[in-house]
Amino acid sequence: MFDTVTSARALMGLSLAFHIIFATIGIGLPLLLLIAEGIALRSGDETYLRMAKRWGRVAAVLFAVGAVSGTILSFEFGLLWPTWIEFSGGIIGFPFALEGFAFFTEAIFLALYIYGWDRLSPKAHWLCTIPLVVSSAASAFFVISANAWMNQPAGFEVINGKAVNVDPIAAMFNSAMPYQVTHGTLASYVATGFAVAGVYAIAMLRGDRSDYNKKALVLGLAVAAVFTPLQIVSGDLSGRFLAHHQPEKFAAMEGQFETEKGAPLRIGGFPDPEDKTTRYAIEVPKLGSFLAFEDFNAEVRGLNSFPQDDIPDARLVHPFFQVMVGIAFFMLFVVVWFFGLAWWRKRIDPGRLLLLAVAVTVPLGFVAIEAGWFVTEFGRQPWIIYHLMRTADGSTPREGIAWVLMVFALVYVALAAGLALLLLREQRRPLEPRAQVGEGHGVA
Amino acid sequence: MSLENLAAGVVLLGLIAYAMFGGADFGGGVWTALAWGPRATQQREAIFRAMGPVWETNHVWLILVVVTLFTAFPSAFADLFTALLVPLLIALVGIVFRGAAFAFRHFGSSGEAGLPATGIVFSVASIITPMTMGMALGAVAGGHITIENGVVTSGLYEPWLRPFSVICGLIAVTMCGFLTAYYMATRSTGQLLEDFRKRGLAASLVLGALTTIAIPIAYWDADPFWDRLLEPAPLAVMGAAVVMGLASLVVLWQRWYVLAPPVAAGTVALVIAGWGAVQYPYLILPNERISDVAAGHATLGAFLIALPIGAVILIPSLVLLYATFSEKTGGPGVEGEGYGY
Ligand code: HDD
Ligand code: HEM
Ligand code: HEM
Repeated sequence: MFDTVTSARALMGLSLAFHIIFATIGIGLPLLLLIAEGIALRSGDETYLRMAKRWGRVAAVLFAVGAVSGTILSFEFGLLWPTWIEFSGGIIGFPFALEGFAFFTEAIFLALYIYGWDRLSPKAHWLCTIPLVVSSAASAFFVISANAWMNQPAGFEVINGKAVNVDPIAAMFNSAMPYQVTHGTLASYVATGFAVAGVYAIAMLRGDRSDYNKKALVLGLAVAAVFTPLQIVSGDLSGRFLAHHQPEKFAAMEGQFETEKGAPLRIGGFPDPEDKTTRYAIEVPKLGSFLAFEDFNAEVRGLNSFPQDDIPDARLVHPFFQVMVGIAFFMLFVVVWFFGLAWWRKRIDPGRLLLLAVAVTVPLGFVAIEAGWFVTEFGRQPWIIYHLMRTADGSTPREGIAWVLMVFALVYVALAAGLALLLLREQRRPLEPRAQVGEGHGVA
Repeated sequence: MSLENLAAGVVLLGLIAYAMFGGADFGGGVWTALAWGPRATQQREAIFRAMGPVWETNHVWLILVVVTLFTAFPSAFADLFTALLVPLLIALVGIVFRGAAFAFRHFGSSGEAGLPATGIVFSVASIITPMTMGMALGAVAGGHITIENGVVTSGLYEPWLRPFSVICGLIAVTMCGFLTAYYMATRSTGQLLEDFRKRGLAASLVLGALTTIAIPIAYWDADPFWDRLLEPAPLAVMGAAVVMGLASLVVLWQRWYVLAPPVAAGTVALVIAGWGAVQYPYLILPNERISDVAAGHATLGAFLIALPIGAVILIPSLVLLYATFSEKTGGPGVEGEGYGY
């Protein structure tokens, strides 16, 4: 059976990996609702209104799962990591408290949006999407700033093992915050845009090339096309920040064992901590150094140069990093192909191969997000607070956490199965009968 | 008033709000389980319809309590969650299944009669969750969580599997059902109103009985609670709770329905405030004082400044939400109305 720390880590990772899927949709979907209903209101095109109604229905149930899975997380801080939260709570509790307000705003306006079709004027109904977009982005900002603090702790001093002279604002605005928050929030728009587009690409592949499917596909891809390049630029900035401020993580990402001048960029390959090499990688000479320090001959520190008890496991970090970056470039390729072709032909009529490529992106955004978080979290190990508290020291003194892990693994299986069943049923549901814009917007 | 006490007051207010709003949603599950008579299906449908737009918002009060606790009282939060690992886990599983079952049922709802599987999960989870939460609060107030030099020494079960905690759990479940019946009576018309009125009267009588039984149990099983209960301030708040409880009985008896929600909410608020008054100045009786376990002043200050700023956004939004979705539901024929799908 797993020991307490191993179980706690596995359960925390499982819970976060589950939650982030719903959180991502909770951040991305409001933007799509804002755009779709906005177009419907301006142009009177009922196709977009049907889109917004459909998405709103799905959003309702996904948000509910997001809320319960988030509740699991906030309890787990105490149930699994009491020593960590005892130290950190007074420092990074502040952003979590602010996040509480963001959740309230989100829950309130989501309810008004979903249940308010008949009760609010069309304009008021559409206006509800604005607080939704703002508050969901704000909740991403607050949580990720807390996570960034775990990577770059700031805003306190340690005296006799206790945090004193705490400055919660400085803690929130730690040096990793701008990079992680930007990259982590943009990711939601990228992933949701592709996921929505992909769903309609699948419908079109099945032969339904209706106006509705085409418009929904273009809307999703347009959002993705705006955010994917930004995502790549911000990822590059994140990487450069790590090269300076978390060099162990950077070395693990790159599979860099030896300290090296003019380090290559390794694509693929398997890091082997026994032999301390990364095998079978395609090496692009000097590019690693350039990407990290903007200098082809700069020195990149390797994992060997750190105390060996203090380094993350490159066997995890390097492959997940490769997955994220690989997906990013595939996504870029898809949007360039799609909109390039449309521009060239002056009409939107994607072929089967292109539709297939878009369809493949339905899960890819989420895979990239999970992979990116695994880079961040595994790359921070063995620290729960970088260079300050070890993960093993942050956990609960209670025995038997392996049981808790098993119970929650079952809970997640049950939730996922129930949700899958429900969404499959929804997919087979016929669309709403043709409606005029404003109808179902009924009374004011 | 010191920053520490203000922050503890926020925790207490958060708990009261969670009980007043979220509690009624748990009560919805209680009455879903206990729905009987010729209008059982209608009762369930009316409850579902009332909860739909608001339950997620009501749930956020719990999040607010949790984050306030770990922000303002990090070491007490760590100790509470270590000491009460088991009941909090059970409550958590209950929260998860209740929320998911409700959302799934609602999303997939095609107006089927009877009690489908999601309905059963929803009811069972709605009873287990307030029960274990009440037991956890009872354990805190009963003085059975032992902490030595900042290390929790009590076992996994003994602080909460005991008479005083059990009675607190039962009171919590009853309060939930009590609130729902009162709120639903005001929202209903016709026969449905009569149903909820009867349920409200029954619940208030049970609540009265349970709180009365709790007094000798406290004497026998919860020394620190008993000692503090007889001091003037706690006694005054508890006395007010009793008066409010009796008033709520009269209100339903006399059919003064507009008054039903405020008196019911007031009763619950006073019971919890009474619990808070007994606890003061301790966060965990009898070991941890509020002032010993509070975070630094910079943190408390930032938190207490952010609070009213957040409230400026929050309160009008809440008013808008409840105002938009407060209408009466009557007999049959209104199924699906207002759901806009
Ligand atoms: C749609 C998803 C997605 C895509 C396409 C990318 N990323 Fe990413 N990445 C994330 C989603 C993500 C993330 C899940 O959102 C992470 C986890 C933590 C965070 O803040 O963002 C992340 C973390 C993350 C980190 C670690 C940050 C840290 O630990 O502080 C780096 C260095 C990069 N990314 C770099 C890149 C690069 C160079 C990319 C493209 C070329 C890229 N990411 C594409
Ligand atoms: C939502 C996306 C996230 C995912 C997928 C994720 C994933 C993980 C994984 C896999 C672990 C286990 C790592 C290990 O022990 O080897 C972990 C640990 C942890 N994460 Fe995250 N994480 C995410 C975001 C966050 C955020 C936003 C926070 C806090 C603000 C956070 C706090 C923690 C804590 C406290 C641990 C336990 C200590 C540790 O293992 O270092 N995580 N996470
Ligand atoms: C990067 C990681 C995270 C992001 C981007 C994120 C974002 C979100 C968003 C947008 C929601 C709204 C509900 C939904 O859309 O389904 C949500 C819900 C929630 N999250 Fe997270 N979250 C993250 C990690 C965490 C962590 C580490 C915690 C632990 C305290 C947490 C606690 C919660 C809670 C309690 C809710 C429910 C709020 C409610 O009741 O409505 N989240 N999260």
